[in-house]
Amino acid sequence: MADLVIRKLGKTYFDLYAGRHVTAVADVSLEIHTGEFVSIVGASGCGKTTLLNMVAGFIPPSEGEILLGDRQVKGPGPDRGVVFQGFALFPWKSVLDNVAFGLKMRGVPRAERLRIAEEYVALVGLAGAESRYPTELSGGMQQRVGVARALANSPELLLMDEPFASVDAQTRMTLQEELTRIWEAKHPTILFVTHDVDEAVFLSDRVIVLTRSPGTVRAEVPIPLPRPRSWGRLVEDGRFKALVARVLALVRDSDPPTNPAGGQERSG
Amino acid sequence: MEAVAARPSLPPPWHLRAIGSAVRWLDGSPGLKSFGPFVPILLLWAGVAQAGIFPRIFFPGPWDVVLSFANLITKGILPEYLEDSLLRLALGAGAGVATGIPLGLLVGLSRIGHRCLWPVIVFFQAVGDIAWLPILLIWFGFGLATMTFVIVYTVLFPVVFNTALGVRSIPLEFTRAAQSLGARPWRILLEVVVPGALPNIITGLRNGLGYGWRALIAAEMIVGTSGVGFLMFDARRAGQVTEVLLGMIVLGILWYVVDGWILVPLEQATVERWGVVARRDVP
Repeated sequence: MADLVIRKLGKTYFDLYAGRHVTAVADVSLEIHTGEFVSIVGASGCGKTTLLNMVAGFIPPSEGEILLGDRQVKGPGPDRGVVFQGFALFPWKSVLDNVAFGLKMRGVPRAERLRIAEEYVALVGLAGAESRYPTELSGGMQQRVGVARALANSPELLLMDEPFASVDAQTRMTLQEELTRIWEAKHPTILFVTHDVDEAVFLSDRVIVLTRSPGTVRAEVPIPLPRPRSWGRLVEDGRFKALVARVLALVRDSDPPTNPAGGQERSG
Repeated sequence: MEAVAARPSLPPPWHLRAIGSAVRWLDGSPGLKSFGPFVPILLLWAGVAQAGIFPRIFFPGPWDVVLSFANLITKGILPEYLEDSLLRLALGAGAGVATGIPLGLLVGLSRIGHRCLWPVIVFFQAVGDIAWLPILLIWFGFGLATMTFVIVYTVLFPVVFNTALGVRSIPLEFTRAAQSLGARPWRILLEVVVPGALPNIITGLRNGLGYGWRALIAAEMIVGTSGVGFLMFDARRAGQVTEVLLGMIVLGILWYVVDGWILVPLEQATVERWGVVARRDVP
C-alpha cells in the first residue's frame, strides 16, 4: 500500500467539434493516504472523470505528475483497480471468471485464484451466483461483480468512476452501505468520483470539491462522521445534513455566474 | 369498437380449422418446422407437372426427382459427389477462416495494418471469385488447387470485414478494464478482443460459408470432374432434367445441415449463452 500524490496535474485537449483547445483539468494537487476513502465531487463537466482517467493511466496528463508510492503513473496497471460506471464486465465470462480475471492475468494458479474469487464474490453478497453470466444479473448485482473484480486483484488504490450512477435509487443506497462495510473490513484506499453530494459525504473520510471548466480543487472538506455508517442513522443526523449543505454550497458556488447549475450536460 | 367486441364469436368453418390444426402440427414438430413452408411450393410444382403444360422430360414432377434421388444413392454417385463437394468446402472454408480472422484482427486493431491492408482487401474483394477462374485454370489446371483457391477467396472477405468490424465495436471500457487488471496486450487479444468480436466473426463465417458454397458449385460446373455442381452440369449435357433439379434441391438442403449442425450450435454455445445477441427461443 502506498499514498497517492498528484502534483499540478493538468489536461488540455483539442476539441474537434468546438475547433479549439479545451482545458478540462488545471493545476490539481492532492494527496490520498493509505487506507483513506476520498471522494471528488463537482458539477457535470468539471473534469472529475478526466482526473480519474489520468490516475488510472487511461489518458496521459498534459502537465504535472501522478505518484503512487515512489512510482510515477505511466499507463494503466494492476496496482490501480477501476470500477466503471458502465460496469465493463466481460459478458463471455461467468461471475466467478470475471472476478478471477486479474489474478489469472497475474499468473495465480487456477485453484487459488478461484478460491480467492469465491471469497470476494461472497464479500459483495453474491454467493450462489458464481456461474451466472453478467447479462443475467440486474444492474446492482453487476456492479457488485465490478467491485469484487477490482478488489480481488488487491490493488493499492481503488478508483471508482460514478459506480452507482446507473442503478436505481434504492439499490444505490444499499450498494453505498455495502461499500462502507467492505471498506471497513478491508480498508482499501479509494478514490471515488461522483456528482452526488449525499453519496460523497456518506462514504468518505474527505470530500474534494472541484470547480468547473477547468477543474481545479476548490475545497477539501473532512467528514468526521463516526463509522460504521448507515442511511437509517445518518438521514436524520444533523452533522450529516450540515456537511451535505456545506459541500453542496461549494459545488453550486463553483458554477460560473453566466452558466447556472444544470445548464451543461456534458460529463467529463 | 364496442360493437365489434360485443358481437358473438362464431367458431370458424371446419375446413379452416383443419388447415389451422395442420399448420400447428407442422409448426410444432422440430424436424418439420423448416419443411412446412415448402409444402405449398411442392404442391404447386406437382400440380403444374401433373397438368402436362410442359413436356414431362423438361419439367418432371417431385416424384420423378425422388426416384432419381434413390437411383443415384443406390449407385453411390450422389454420396461420392456430396463427399467431394463437402470436403472441398471444409478445406477451403477452414483455410479461409484461418487466414481471415487474423487478417481481420490486424486490420481492426492496428492503424498501420488498416492503412496498408484495407485498400488491397477492397480491391481484391471487387475482383470476385469467379473472375479468377481463367487465370487459375492456366496456372493450376482443372483440379483441387483451383477449386480450393476459389473457396478460400470467397470465404476470406466476409470473415475479414466482419472480424474487423467486431474488433472496432468492442467497448473501450472492456480494454481499459483488462489493462487495469494487469492484462498484457497479447492476453487482451485472446481474452477480450477475440471473444468480444465473436458475434461479428460468426456473422462473417455464416456469410463466408454461404458465398463459398455457391462459389464451389460454380467452380465445379466449370472446373469439376466430380461434386454436386459437376453432377448438375453433367446431367444437363445428358438431358437429365430430374438430376439437375435434384442437384438444386440437395444444395438447398445441405445449407440447412451446415447451418443447423455447425453455425447454430456454435452460436448457442457462445454469443447466445452470454446474452450478447437475442436467443432463438425467445420470440
